[in-house]
Amino acid sequence: MTAPTELARRVVHHKLFWPVVALLVLLLAAGVRSPGFLSVTVQDGHLFGQVIDIMRGAATPLLLALGMALVIATGGIDLSVGAVMAISLAVSLQFLDNSATADQPSTAVVAVLLGVAVALVLGAFNGFMVTVLGIQPFIATMILMVAGRGIAMLITKGQITTTTSPPFKTIGSGFFLGLPMPVIIAAVAFVVVVIVVRRTALGMLLESIGINREAARLAGVRSRNVTWFAYAASGLLAGLAGIVYGAPTMAADANNIGLMKEMDAILCVVLGGTSLMGGKFYLGGTVVGALILTTIERVVIIFHIPSQTTPLFKAIVIIAVCIAQSPVLLRRLDLRRLRRASRRRAELASQEVPA
Amino acid sequence: MTTLTSPTSTTPRWRTALRRATDRRYMPVAGSVLTLVLMLVVGEMRYGGSSGFLTPRLVSNLLVDNSYLLVLAIGMTFVIITGGIDLSVGAVVALTGLVIATLLPMGLPLPVVLLVAVLIGSAMGLIIGVMVQVFDIQPFIASLGVMFLARGLANVVSVNSLAITDEGFASLAAWNVTFGEKANQFRLNAAMLVALVLLIVGFYLLHYTRFGRTVYGVGVGDAGNAIDLMGLRAGRTVLWVYVISGTCAGIAGILFALYTKSGYNLTGIGMELDAIAAVVIGGTILTGGGGYILGTAVGVMVYGLIQVLISREGLGEAWWTKIFIGAVLLVFVIVQRFLTARRR
Repeated sequence: MTAPTELARRVVHHKLFWPVVALLVLLLAAGVRSPGFLSVTVQDGHLFGQVIDIMRGAATPLLLALGMALVIATGGIDLSVGAVMAISLAVSLQFLDNSATADQPSTAVVAVLLGVAVALVLGAFNGFMVTVLGIQPFIATMILMVAGRGIAMLITKGQITTTTSPPFKTIGSGFFLGLPMPVIIAAVAFVVVVIVVRRTALGMLLESIGINREAARLAGVRSRNVTWFAYAASGLLAGLAGIVYGAPTMAADANNIGLMKEMDAILCVVLGGTSLMGGKFYLGGTVVGALILTTIERVVIIFHIPSQTTPLFKAIVIIAVCIAQSPVLLRRLDLRRLRRASRRRAELASQEVPA
Repeated sequence: MTTLTSPTSTTPRWRTALRRATDRRYMPVAGSVLTLVLMLVVGEMRYGGSSGFLTPRLVSNLLVDNSYLLVLAIGMTFVIITGGIDLSVGAVVALTGLVIATLLPMGLPLPVVLLVAVLIGSAMGLIIGVMVQVFDIQPFIASLGVMFLARGLANVVSVNSLAITDEGFASLAAWNVTFGEKANQFRLNAAMLVALVLLIVGFYLLHYTRFGRTVYGVGVGDAGNAIDLMGLRAGRTVLWVYVISGTCAGIAGILFALYTKSGYNLTGIGMELDAIAAVVIGGTILTGGGGYILGTAVGVMVYGLIQVLISREGLGEAWWTKIFIGAVLLVFVIVQRFLTARRR
């Protein structure tokens, strides 16, 4: 085989090939349909444009998906992130609402820290259930998924808490270095997570647990602590996501905030090439997954398709990417290529014999 | 976690019988029956009054209000025993309800519409089944994809709540037979009848057929060894399990439409979790390989009873229901965990 085809083969077989193709196709389709789609303009020193909007929209699912990726790497799942979003936002806004100095930046910081701390506790609770009690992750986190929304409603007394606090609002709708604040927060979270898990052995330990918990334990990995860390991190990031998501409107609608967001987060992770079986995880791929998901929502609007059909397009992309990534399909294609190659070789051999 | 009782010809019969009755496999189900009994006792003590809490009327109301959930949970039991999961059922319920609400005014005969509704469910299940069986995609993500598909299709059909005004449908929804008077009144309606028939069919299929045995065998996993040792072949069992679940979801969609007499694209959000919770409370193990259909029925009753108790307690707010369901689920999984702890 010659070098270029070898390179092409490696590119096609790369985990991220199909997700990136899907993202590019979506972006190009939107760009062709609406020529201004890919352009970015500068107004008052802030960047504006559809692409920037996509990045802003991708911030929340990305924050959730980063934590989810760590949990999935251990072979678990965290269904509670949507409910945790609702709780942390409810706690933050309720605190601001009862505070006399809601317009002070320090109060806003305390509100954020409070919300995130509650989320961390909830994540640690999930971790406790999974590691100490040994309950399956699906059911352990489902408990908080069901009860959590009730807790959030209890905090807001069933009302939609609305309050005003300019510094808090900045988290959702402000700009920093020309970029929307949520994008900056998501980017910082991404970098921190990458440094923590990839610059240390933590990522490898997470993967070892996902591949074979028992073998990891025998090899001296403190699988209980490492798994616990993953759930706590997922809770913390979900809390942050809740605050980032709710900050622009400053309304804690406990019933609807973060509803089904856990599914979106899991999708981001899976679209990014991480298997739900656990083991190898790809944080870069998760970013691509989050961008795909948000781009779908945006493209549906660009094409003037009624926005309620978005789930349909999500379904098509999920099913297509999953089937394209499915090992069975790859194996079959490989098999066919091998057969074709061997046939060609046989033909060549039979031609050479008379000569 | 094996489901085979090893035939022990050497031990006396009474010992086998004793061991059967106290079999560890029944422990999770015993736990759910215990929960049910406890809840009934609490109900009797707090709201018994003159006519009593546990009346035929209570049972009848529980069955009427939860017949669609029972049907969903029956299908879900099959899926969970194979170690899979089906997240699409709530969306399928919404889709079938809307399809019924749109097709009936077009003048199509009722039986055809109902058949189409059921087949839509089967088709959705088939898609999941093919993805899981043929393409080796994880059930969670495959059924999540179909959940979005069904929800999207429902949104395409209509985003408004459509009332079902068809006369035949209305008479089907209103049909019922009542026995007894007042508190002793037992009302039997079409939805309840369908759910009970499906319960019997599911019970027979899972516990008395080769297919049912294979479902357990697949769930045990063990790289197919279990199935080989049982002398069964996995074949397309996994695919069929999802078709069963999808079909049940289609039927549940009809029952839900009968219950609400309308179709709406936002119904059934989170209904799949209700079904999964009911199955888990019923003692079926989420990793697969163990569980009973009748346990699931008990689970659905517990689930329904939670809501009855909360409303009787006067905690009408929706959040108490959610917190209480979470708490019951928590207590139950911890108990189940300790009951099954020594088996591993």
